[in-house]
Amino acid sequence: MTTLTAAVSEKKSQKKVEIHRQVRAFNGLAHVALVFWALVTAGPLIWVLLASFKTNTEIFLGEPFSLPASFSLETYVSAWDQAHIGRYFLNSVFVVAVSTAGTMLFGSMAAYVLARYTFPGNRVLYFLFVSGLAFPTFMALAPLFHILKNLGLLNSYLGLILVYIAYSLPFTVFFLAAFFRTLPHEIDEAATVDGASHTRKFFQIMMPMAKSGLVSITIFNIVGQWNQYLLPLVIMQGQGADQKWVLTQGIANISTQAGYHAEWSTLFAALTLSILPMIVVYAIFQRQIQAGLTAGAVK
Amino acid sequence: MHAVDSRPAPAPAPQATPPKTAKRVRSRSQRDSGVAWLLSLPTLLILIAMLGYPLYRMIVLSFQNMRLRELFSGATPPWAGVDQYTKALTDSVFWGVVGRTAGFTVVSVTLSVLAGLGIALLMRRVTRGVRMFMMIAMMFVWALPQLVAAQAFRWLTDSDFGVLNYVLTQLGLDYSTHSWFVNPWEGWAVITALVVWAGIPFLAISLSAGLTQVPKELLEAATVDGANPWQSLRNITLPILKPLLMIVTTLSVIWNFGLFTQNWALRDGHPEPVYQTLATYSYTQAFGRSIYSYGSAISVITVLLMFGVMVFYIRQMFKIGEVD
Repeated sequence: MTTLTAAVSEKKSQKKVEIHRQVRAFNGLAHVALVFWALVTAGPLIWVLLASFKTNTEIFLGEPFSLPASFSLETYVSAWDQAHIGRYFLNSVFVVAVSTAGTMLFGSMAAYVLARYTFPGNRVLYFLFVSGLAFPTFMALAPLFHILKNLGLLNSYLGLILVYIAYSLPFTVFFLAAFFRTLPHEIDEAATVDGASHTRKFFQIMMPMAKSGLVSITIFNIVGQWNQYLLPLVIMQGQGADQKWVLTQGIANISTQAGYHAEWSTLFAALTLSILPMIVVYAIFQRQIQAGLTAGAVK
Repeated sequence: MHAVDSRPAPAPAPQATPPKTAKRVRSRSQRDSGVAWLLSLPTLLILIAMLGYPLYRMIVLSFQNMRLRELFSGATPPWAGVDQYTKALTDSVFWGVVGRTAGFTVVSVTLSVLAGLGIALLMRRVTRGVRMFMMIAMMFVWALPQLVAAQAFRWLTDSDFGVLNYVLTQLGLDYSTHSWFVNPWEGWAVITALVVWAGIPFLAISLSAGLTQVPKELLEAATVDGANPWQSLRNITLPILKPLLMIVTTLSVIWNFGLFTQNWALRDGHPEPVYQTLATYSYTQAFGRSIYSYGSAISVITVLLMFGVMVFYIRQMFKIGEVD
């Protein structure tokens, strides 16, 4: 008996050595992959950041990874003022703030009842909402344009915000419904027995429990809406539209108008500025993003 | 959870609760269903107004012949039956666009899902600090507006001043004034690289969060039983990850099939015929050439095609979200 266990453990330890070797080979490979990944992912980002501090001559010098002569914020000032990036930046902040808030309010209400209540029409509603997910953005652009025009919402923030909300809702409802389903039933049953109202249950019990899911989907929506280009391109056109453009339109404008003669550094400064708010959002919510990103989808 | 636990228990209802009767229960469930509909109402209205109705209009429009004249006069466009559809379906240019979009979608989704999975697995192996660094860098990339990323890539691949040509020339290859968009294969390689590069963060971050759900004991047991890393991946990790993989792959297909911003921006808002995808093609037809009905017909065909191919996956995805 003892010899048998000894033999087994002997064999096991041999195997362990073998495994260790494999793991080490894997780790070596992993590090090569890591370096490659860092070059490819971070490279373009660093290049944009460097170029944003350079003058036009420096950009066209043909030494893309050289440091700029001085780190002055001049290009940023010129992007903010002369290229009106400041205005577009604030327009974007306003539109995204309102539409994300709207998306989260409506989306979480709908997802909550769809996930936690059985009522006639539940399934139909769920499929109706979520099927919006399968439609690519460009699908209904032409009719959307006409409808907004007829409603007088073309070239207005309200129109843009409503459209952003509509395009964000399907994924929000899909994700949050899955998330709300995973939450334990005992607590809100107890609350019902204790006589808590629907509103109270929703805001004081479900919302705090679903916090990580809510945070991740909020960020997903902020990113998605901040990055929109096609929708504002269609909606924000007409008389005086260039006052109401969002940031992506402003950036596109710098590069399409400019050609080879323009201040390219302004473009790079604008590009860098457009990432800033996202970095701030990430810095604040980093932990929740990691915790909640897929908690709803993977059980 | 803690927020709830630390909260004082809700005060008991002031009235004494009357004994439950069947009637009472029914009336409560009726009230519940009223509340449920009420809370879903805003979502329902917005989706109907901004997605549903436009879709319906688009389908109608695709059977008409709407030109600029009707757009300005507001007159009802003449009925055209299936003319727009026959026009599209018999047009070899259209089929070229379909093939190109489909090919691009298959290649780009395959590459980004594989790379995303690879990076997610890589992130499980590296130390905490490195993992944080990777996470942050990828979040930057994810946060980059598509348009911004496209602009950056346009400059990376610029024929005279691009970094790519610079690096290749430094490596001893003569790429000093090489134009990447003359040869469509090279141009599409750049576009695919951009889409994959920008798509990886979402995939890698989601999948790596999914990987935390794979029980460590299971993997250790498999290793002790002599499974090599590849076998553990295939037989343990992937099956557990499957629902999530399904969701992110389906989403990637939907997103990449609707490719617009990247090829639009890389080609300066005027994509040549070889750089047209269904989205840009439909947009150019509708808005550039003001043949709205034709543009609509193309959109309808696109969605039908996509649904035809994807119906299984989309069903699967909905089920995953639905079943507990």
